[in-house]
Amino acid sequence: MNAAELHWLLYGGAIGLIVIGAAGIVMGKHLFRIILALAIAEAGANLMLVVAGLRPDAVAPIITGGIIPEQMVDPVPQAMVLTAIVIGVGIQALALSLAIRVYKAYGTLDMREIRLKMAADIDAAAGVDDEVSQESPVGERPLELPDGVTTGGAGQ
Amino acid sequence: MNMITLIVALPLLAAFLLPIGDRAVGSVSRFIGPVVLLINMVLIMILWQKSGDVPFALALGGFRPPLGISFYVDQLALLFALLVSVLTLMLWPYKGDTNPRVFGLMLLLTGAASGMALSGDLFNIYVFFELLSVASFGLVASLRTGAAFAATTRYLIISGFGTVMALTGIALIYTQTGTLNLAHLSALAPQQLDNATGLTAFALILLGIGVKAELFPVNTWVPEIYATATRRVSALMAGLVSKLAVLVIVRVMVLIFPQPEAMQLMLALGVAGVLIGELSAWRARDFVRMLSFSSIGQLGLVFVAFSIPGEAGILAGLAVALHHLLVKPALFLLAERWGGSLSRLEGAGRRSPLAAGLFVLFALSLVGVPPLPGFWAKLLTIVGLVGQAGPLYWFAAAVVLVATVVEVNYLFRFGLTLFKNNEASAQVHKPHAVIDLVTVSVMGGVLLTAMFLIAPLGDQLQTIADQAIDRGLYISTVLGPVGGAR
Repeated sequence: MNAAELHWLLYGGAIGLIVIGAAGIVMGKHLFRIILALAIAEAGANLMLVVAGLRPDAVAPIITGGIIPEQMVDPVPQAMVLTAIVIGVGIQALALSLAIRVYKAYGTLDMREIRLKMAADIDAAAGVDDEVSQESPVGERPLELPDGVTTGGAGQ
Repeated sequence: MNMITLIVALPLLAAFLLPIGDRAVGSVSRFIGPVVLLINMVLIMILWQKSGDVPFALALGGFRPPLGISFYVDQLALLFALLVSVLTLMLWPYKGDTNPRVFGLMLLLTGAASGMALSGDLFNIYVFFELLSVASFGLVASLRTGAAFAATTRYLIISGFGTVMALTGIALIYTQTGTLNLAHLSALAPQQLDNATGLTAFALILLGIGVKAELFPVNTWVPEIYATATRRVSALMAGLVSKLAVLVIVRVMVLIFPQPEAMQLMLALGVAGVLIGELSAWRARDFVRMLSFSSIGQLGLVFVAFSIPGEAGILAGLAVALHHLLVKPALFLLAERWGGSLSRLEGAGRRSPLAAGLFVLFALSLVGVPPLPGFWAKLLTIVGLVGQAGPLYWFAAAVVLVATVVEVNYLFRFGLTLFKNNEASAQVHKPHAVIDLVTVSVMGGVLLTAMFLIAPLGDQLQTIADQAIDRGLYISTVLGPVGGAR
């Protein structure tokens, strides 16, 4: 495999990880899985940053015993990725601790249920009745017909 | 000039020492925050006096740019750093919550926000942005109700994915240029980033940072968060945090991505934000959510204004952003006692006439009734939009005008509700707390003063905009007079 192919493979992998993460966040229902999807997407972004400084024919930018290697990979993105990983871990820990609080409050980790319960809580706090949906108006369906009107159709 | 770093370092230091100080001497922790903010204000004033109108750059840690991280201090950065301190001081939780952690988070937010305004390095901006995010997560969840935790979790996930997008954009920029110093990037951008990759990077950064700026597709968190957080925190988020995110996006756009496509992308998202925000606000049935949706609409207007090419756009954007920065926190403070559905607020204005009067003042300015400052901000935007060739800009101007009509409708409807003659309902509402009323009155005073001083203020904004759009000045200030691509 030559250098260009390797680069494309790594970029493809990074973008793939981000897409997997995005899909998990958008389509996931379970809060824990969504947090994991976020972690996967973060890994993709970090890989992207590392690949930005990659040179296939180079070694790690470490100078040992006064010998300076001829080709070194760019150390700047590596330092940045280290920072980004630390930040990411912090965010994930915070997300998990929040998930525990949410579970204690609502007794579920299903995002749809959490959203409904939260919306109900906010509406109750604001003193607004639940939103009446346009698709399912109040009253029984089908509506009762006025007197004297009969339904035409195949049966008659 | 080195003391500019204190503006970032002091709040951070105080934030982390606060819990320890609280253990040792309990009552001290209440005063540390405001004192630090006051020191910050004085420092910025002195710096502004000293530097005059000349921007300067500071290489942190002695590493010269483009390798090291630099602070770029021009009038725009100083203005926003000053606004951070002033607004945080006004919206400080003086009463109620005595938890020292909340004070610590407020200081953390101040330090990170000041850093974002001053930093001249893309990755450094990303780090401060994350710090700001974490501080805001803590603040919005500080009421510790179930709804607050759930809203914060949803906010965290959107914000976290936004960060991933921004980081990917930064990585793309690095692959193209091999640097993240804004000045160096600005010098390299015309050759390296004026292509599809550069545009993708801008779109990613716009969406990623735009989460905090309530940009159109990534703003679902706004109504939930503002409804579940304390009003002061909501005011801070809507007024200050969103503007700093806008500031970062504008800096990046002016320096690195001056392509027309980048501006049109921002314009399109801004127009969508205006439409959706204002129409949702029109349908909202309680005051707080009306304000949240209207905030989305107003930030859409800010983006629309900034996407006008040239310094006219910077000027209009600054005017709209500063106006919103003053008005929205004031309205959120008024909402402290006016929670609940709109129909229950009948006659509430008769109970606290001063608050109702101030609401009318801010509403008039928000709508843009001359001679209030809001009128001039909107006028600059619309004149700028109409002056551009191209149907997209004219469409944007039409949308802004239609949105104004919608705004008039819902704000005046609320104003009329406040003054309805309903004694029974009026008695239910408690009058506003003195501290809130004083803060809002000060903001109203500032608004009225700005109305009388509109000409000198406009000149001042013009010089700030001139400086902000001068890419050559930025490059030569940071990289030295030779500058250019190295």
